[in-house]
Order: sequence, then structure tokens, then C-alpha cells
Amino acid sequence: MSASGLTVGTEVVPENTPMRKRGLGLTRLQWVYVLLAGIFVVSVLRVVTGANDIDSSGLLIAAFGLAVPIALAGLGGLWSERAGVVNIGLEGMMILGTWGAGFLGYHMGPWWGLVGAVVGGVVGGFVHAVATVTFGVDHIVSGVALNIVALGFAKYLSVRFFSPLPGGGPTQSPPLPELPTVTIPGLSDALGTLEQKHIFFVSDLAGVLRAFCTNVSVVTILAVLLFVLTWWLLWRTAFGLRLRSVGESPVAAESLGVNVLRYKFVAVLISGGLAGLGGGFLALVAANVFRDGQTGGRGYIGLAAMIFGNWRPGGLLAGSALFGYTDAAQLRGGGTTVHAFLLLLAVLLIAIGVWQIVRKGRKVQGILAIVVGALVGTWYALTDIVPPELSGTTPYVTTLLVLAFASQRLRMPAADGQVYRKGEGH
Amino acid sequence: MRHATKVAAVVAAAALGLAACGSSTPETPAASSAAGGTSAATGKKIVVGVAYGVGGRGDQSFNASAAAGLDKAKADLGIEYKEATQVNGESEAATEERLQQFVDAGATHVIGVGFAYAKAIGAVAKANPDVKFAIIDDASADSAGPNVAQLTFAEEQGSFLVGAAAALKSKTNQVGFVGGVATDLIKKFEAGYIAGAKAANPSVTVKSQYLSQPPDFSGFNDPAKGKTAAEGLYQGGADVVYHAAGGSGSGVFTAAKAAGALAIGVDSDQALTATPDVRDVILTSMIKKVDVAVYDFLKSGSEGKDITGNKVYDLKAGGVDYATTGGKVDDIKTKLDDYKAKIISGEITVPTAP
Repeated sequence: MSASGLTVGTEVVPENTPMRKRGLGLTRLQWVYVLLAGIFVVSVLRVVTGANDIDSSGLLIAAFGLAVPIALAGLGGLWSERAGVVNIGLEGMMILGTWGAGFLGYHMGPWWGLVGAVVGGVVGGFVHAVATVTFGVDHIVSGVALNIVALGFAKYLSVRFFSPLPGGGPTQSPPLPELPTVTIPGLSDALGTLEQKHIFFVSDLAGVLRAFCTNVSVVTILAVLLFVLTWWLLWRTAFGLRLRSVGESPVAAESLGVNVLRYKFVAVLISGGLAGLGGGFLALVAANVFRDGQTGGRGYIGLAAMIFGNWRPGGLLAGSALFGYTDAAQLRGGGTTVHAFLLLLAVLLIAIGVWQIVRKGRKVQGILAIVVGALVGTWYALTDIVPPELSGTTPYVTTLLVLAFASQRLRMPAADGQVYRKGEGH
Repeated sequence: MRHATKVAAVVAAAALGLAACGSSTPETPAASSAAGGTSAATGKKIVVGVAYGVGGRGDQSFNASAAAGLDKAKADLGIEYKEATQVNGESEAATEERLQQFVDAGATHVIGVGFAYAKAIGAVAKANPDVKFAIIDDASADSAGPNVAQLTFAEEQGSFLVGAAAALKSKTNQVGFVGGVATDLIKKFEAGYIAGAKAANPSVTVKSQYLSQPPDFSGFNDPAKGKTAAEGLYQGGADVVYHAAGGSGSGVFTAAKAAGALAIGVDSDQALTATPDVRDVILTSMIKKVDVAVYDFLKSGSEGKDITGNKVYDLKAGGVDYATTGGKVDDIKTKLDDYKAKIISGEITVPTAP
């Protein structure tokens, strides 16, 4: 993904480990090559396995749709945790966001629906901030409580406000008006025609490009802008430096005159607003209706994506995209597309195994990876389809696998999750 | 500081109170208390507790259909009722508690809408032998008892008919199925649908997709996933998709509209209940007359002849059917009615597992 801006090592806060280059240390041009190589690998996979849906524009568009709510929730988590407040209440804030989007979206139009979503999330963020920052409640306890309360509160509000409306009910809002989508007319069609020809690599590239210029929701564009804005604010401004210092070492920050509690409070409010916007996307863009329980645990997945991304926007985006892609693949293609992934996994595992032995001299890990890779390869060869009971777990398994390989490099903000009281350091 | 703590405590308590209101406390509609007295002359006074599944009264589908039967019984038989709705992911104890609350509040009849109530109905029925119970969509040993009516439907027979309709209407020779949660119940829909499609056109391809696996029941409540799965089926070449996915079905209709293709509704006549702008893509619906079952149960009760044991509402009993709203199946109606007659006569036996 667009992690190119993160390649320069400008981390200002002192690391407790020696400085490493961020984002694998690649330049922008090198990232383009990596991306093209990725598409090449996938086109080989497509031709070998015959799973044509694996990089179709339809799949990628669906993947964006599933990734955006997760990414926005994760971005919310990033703001809060960078200021040192663990936010497991993202799910609850999303739920309040879906309701806010449903209410204002129905009464005042879709754009106000987005405002309603943000306001709903901010209300959730306010509760969490009062509990954790002002009163020093344990972050996990407050977050879990918020998730339960938000669920009940949204249910109460829907019974109260949606039941009497035509098409509404105690568990759902009336249908909501749609937000506009952006399609680049000529380009989208031309690429679509090229994609349908199934030419090796060319069609695959066309499919990927078409996904970026066909039916892109304005909220998706807004989300991308919010990612850039977050990166700029948190890593390029004095405000961001102070906010992050509060999450790394609140005592030091306070001794330098930073109002720690105010920064934490603001960060949690912004966190709620972003998670709420993620909920608003679900209600307004992905479904055109508010339904009780439609968040379905996406807040937790967002939190996981943030950890996956090492508390950085670029990594978080990559994590959400991976999850959205694998989820869309299993929802659309069922066992067939997931079956194609098995081959990729087998090849990857064997390659990692060989690399571990030859370059790192880690025999045990290497042999283990090769054996597992061979087993997965055998599974691929002997079956035609992955059973539906298993294909549904693809996004979770993929995330776990990547985390298992990357977890050694993760570092969370040093004071994350710790309750801070004003004047603690004196 | 002390003052602030008090404020926080009050706020927290209020929030929890609201949460409780929204979820599990039985709500008594204002109307029901006003409907005192029995209007049916022969009737015996009936107080019903109705526990809905996760979707609740307003799901425009399965639970709404049960509610319709209840409303009819109230109008015709003058019963009184109390209602409550299940919460996704709640404990078995909470489910039982909800039913027991009805009994404690004086209910003579208790209805659990949906198979999720199976164990709870079994347990509470055993503890309260004088109260009559009914469960919809379950005929397992869990819920069985001398004072329990197990009301089930031959969903596979209704699905057979809409499967035949899908195959007859398909131009691409490929049709799809979206199931909410891969339970045995939803697989009955799938099995009937496939059998019907193949009967009408042996060369048709049927692709099935489920949104979640039990015990994760989110697949009944996630329109975004319903839309994604249906898009996959349409872009893969299907031009008719049947959904048995409860609240996720609205996503299937949205996808059908975007693809310029057709979809088939479920449980109620969705060409009447779905969002107006997608009604024109609904070919037909597999109607499951939960309202008939609920009404029957209450009517028999008011006549003192309570239904017990398993009662199957099939095509013959008028428990399932296909919908004709919108006129899209008018040209193939004779063929569908022909299949219907063959199923009723037993000439065609529809499988219940894919």
C-alpha cells in the first residue's frame, strides 16, 4: 500500500532499540517495483490455479468496501493508543456511529449521516475519556463496559426512534439515502474490457487499476485523506510530537509543560470520531441501512489491524487491506479462491524455510516451515476446494500468520495502557 | 473529586439501566393491556409471552411474520401478549431467564421464535408443566416435552419451487444461493433450492455461499457481507440469487439491483416488505407462514385443544409457498404449480440436506 511516505526515518521519540529504517527502507520507485512484482506473482497464481476471481476488479472493489471500516476503526485506535490510552471500546464507538449515521442520515440526508456517525463515535469516545483519563479507570475495563453499554444504548434508541418510521423497526432503520461514488468513465470501461480478456499480467494489472477508478465511494476517498492527515499531524507537527510524547513518557512530557490529560482527552475524542465514521461507512455505504449488530466485531479487528501495523498508519492500512482482501475473497469465491491461496502459502512457506536455513542458519525453524509448506502443498494438490467451514476463517488465519512472522518487530507506545494522574512525576 | 465520582456513578448506572431496557426486559406494548376481556365467545383467557430471535419484531422477515400471527390472534381471539427479543451471543441462562419471566408474569402460553430457543424451551417447559410452550423451527429432543408444540416447516419444499423458478428464468444457466449461517436449518433451504433448479433444468449450475459459520450468527445481520457474497455470485455469471440470510438479505437485493439481475426473497413476501427501490429485482419469495403456525397454536389453545409434539407445516398444509407479487413468475406459474402438485402428492421427494 501507500507506505512510501513512511520510508524516511524521522522518528523523533528516542527508541529503546537502536534506530532501524522504517518501512523496510525502500524508495518510492522500489515500492512500485514491489507492487508490480506482487501483481506478477498473483497473475502467475491465477493462470496456474484458474481462480480468475483472485485479482478481479470486483474482488478488489469489495475488498476496499470491507477494509475501510476496519481501517477507520484502527486509525481511531492509533490516535488513542499513541496518546497512551488503550481503546478496546472501538467496537462500541462504531456501534454508536452506525446508529448516528442511521438517524441523521434518514432525517437530514447522507452527508449529515456522516456527521451523525462522527458525533455518535465522539460520544462513545467522551465516555471512555472521562472514565480513563479523568477518573483513572482501567482502560480495558472501561472499554469493555463501553462496548456493552453502546450495544444496549443503540438498541434502546432504535426501538425508540426507528420503530414508528415506515420501513424501520426495533432492529433496523428505514433505508438510508446513498452517498455518491466516483467512477472515471472512459478509463473504467476500457480497463474493464482489457480485464475480461484474461491476458497474462496485462489483464491483472488492468483489474487492479480499474478497482481504483470504479465506484469508489467518497467516504473511501475521505478515509484515505484522513490517513494522510493523521500521518502528517502526528509525525510532522509539534501537536503530534506532544501527543505521542504523552503516550511514550507522560512524566517527561508534563515536566516539559505539556498538559498530559488534555492531550489524552482530545486523542480519545478523535479516536471515537474516527471509529464512529467507520460505523457510518458500514451503515451508509456498505449497507444503506442501520441494523442492530451490523458492526459484527469489526472494531476488534480494527484494533488488531493497528497492532499488526505496529501503531503506524501505513502498516495499519496494509493490515486492513490484507484482512479486507482475504475476507472478500472467501465471501465471493468461497472455497475456490481460498484453495488458490493454499498454493501461494505452500510456495511462500518453502521459500521462507530455505531462506531461514541458507541465510540465517536457523535449521529448526527452516525445516519446520518447509515441512508445513509441503503439507499445505499436498493439501492443495489433493483437493479442489477448501471446505466452507474453513474458508470462512481465511482472514483470521492470514492475519495470524503474518503477525507470527512480524511480531518480533512490533513496539507499542511505552506508556500505553497506563493510568496517568496529574502531577505524578513530582 | 468526591462529587465527581458520584456523578460518574449515577451516569454509569443510568447507562446500564438503559442498556437493560434495550435488550432483555420484556416490553409490554401499550395496546395489549388495553385489550382486556375475551372477544372470542368460546375462548379461554390466554396470556402469551413471545420471545423473538435476534432480528426482533421489525426484521421484515421471519420474526415479523411471527408477530403478524400474534397480531391476528390478538384481533380475532382477544389474547394478551408480552414480547421480548434475544440478544446476539447471549448466554443460555439469559435465554431461559427471559422465558421464565413470562411464566412469572402470568403467561399461559409461551412461544420461542427460532431454533436458538430449543434448549431453553425444553428446560423451562419441564420446570413449568402447567404452561404450554411452542418453539418454531426446532424438532430436536432438546425442546421436546409433553407441554411443548414443535412447529416446523418444510422449507425444502418451498425452496424447491423458487429453485425451479430461478432455473427457468436464468439466461446464463447459472444461479446462486446465499445462506446466512451454515446451520442444518439453512442447509435445508439450500438443498431444496438446488433440487428444484436441477429438476427444472438439469444442466444449470448452482453456486452456494454462506456468510458465517455457527456459532457465529452474525451472518443473519450483516448486509455488507450479504452484498459482497452476492456481487461475487453475479460477477461469476449467476443471474438469479436466492437468499436465506435474514437481515443480510437487503445486501443481496442491493447487489442484484447494481448487477441488473434478479434475486429471490425468503420467509415473507419480500417484494412487499423490502426497501421500495429494490422491489423490482425480486423475482419471487419463498414464503414461510410462521404467522399461520403462531395463530394455529394460539387458536387451538383458546379452544382448549393445545397442540403438542412436532407439527410440520409443509406445502400440503399451506405452511410454505412461493410468492407471485410483481408478476415476474406469471409465465411459468403453471410449471411451478405442477411441481407443487407433484410434491404434495408425493411424486417428488425433496432432499433436506445438500
